[in-house]
Amino acid sequence: MTSSSSARGELEKMGIDQLKALKEQADLEVNLLQDSLNNIRTANARLESAAGALNDLSIRPQGKKMLVPLTASLYVPGTLDEADKVLVDIGTGYFIEKTMDDGKDYCQRKINLLKSNYEQLFEVLAKKKSVADEAGMVLQGKVRQLQAATTS
Amino acid sequence: MSSSMALRDLQRDLESKANDLAKIQKDIAKDHQLRKKYTIQLGENELVLKELDLLEEDANVYKLIGPVLVKQDLAEANANVRKRIEYISAELKRVDASIQDNEGQQNSKREAMMKLQQRLQSIQAGKAKA
Repeated sequence: MTSSSSARGELEKMGIDQLKALKEQADLEVNLLQDSLNNIRTANARLESAAGALNDLSIRPQGKKMLVPLTASLYVPGTLDEADKVLVDIGTGYFIEKTMDDGKDYCQRKINLLKSNYEQLFEVLAKKKSVADEAGMVLQGKVRQLQAATTS
Repeated sequence: MSSSMALRDLQRDLESKANDLAKIQKDIAKDHQLRKKYTIQLGENELVLKELDLLEEDANVYKLIGPVLVKQDLAEANANVRKRIEYISAELKRVDASIQDNEGQQNSKREAMMKLQQRLQSIQAGKAKA
């Protein structure tokens, strides 16, 4: 309570132009943070589907008939070789060979990392949003005061 | 007469300082973009290093070079990633220093401009009175 009221006091002291600039700045930051959050959510969805695919692959027997994608619209028939080794893309062009279990573990680790990043970012977003909202309210109040003063 | 010439000189000086300021601000914006890029690259490479460290000595590492997956030695991959991290960190420090420097220049230009504007205003006020 005390921190928000002292922030409010700061906002009240500022001039209308300053307040407007502050609110625009805060809105811009909120949008940026929102975009980042969306990116994290997309990446997480991709990882979850990768983990799902891994799980599916691990229960398929060796030698099972399957269709291998060559392009987005061309598949060729093939048989499943051993599904015990998987190649994991770890970034900057590096791939590492891991066992199926390690691969699942990798996916899980990345999902957890992204989840914690998401939560941290969400907190920052919430704080910025409240600053932007407060600035907006104080700005409206001041504009109304000014209008009342000029019309009376 | 001399005061109007001084006026024009001051105005020209102010203009040229404004141009310099705009250029400095553009440089600062460019540096910020660069900084963002390096920070992202650094983060990615550190993630890769962490994964490589988790591997056993005999694990297979492949690098994507164009359309080809080439088998790499774990030690070599480690060394490469470490070197990249070193390089990117050095670049990041350089960009940071450049940003600091430019911001300092920006501030001093702003101050100089303000002083010029004050002189301009006082001369114009003096002419108005005369």
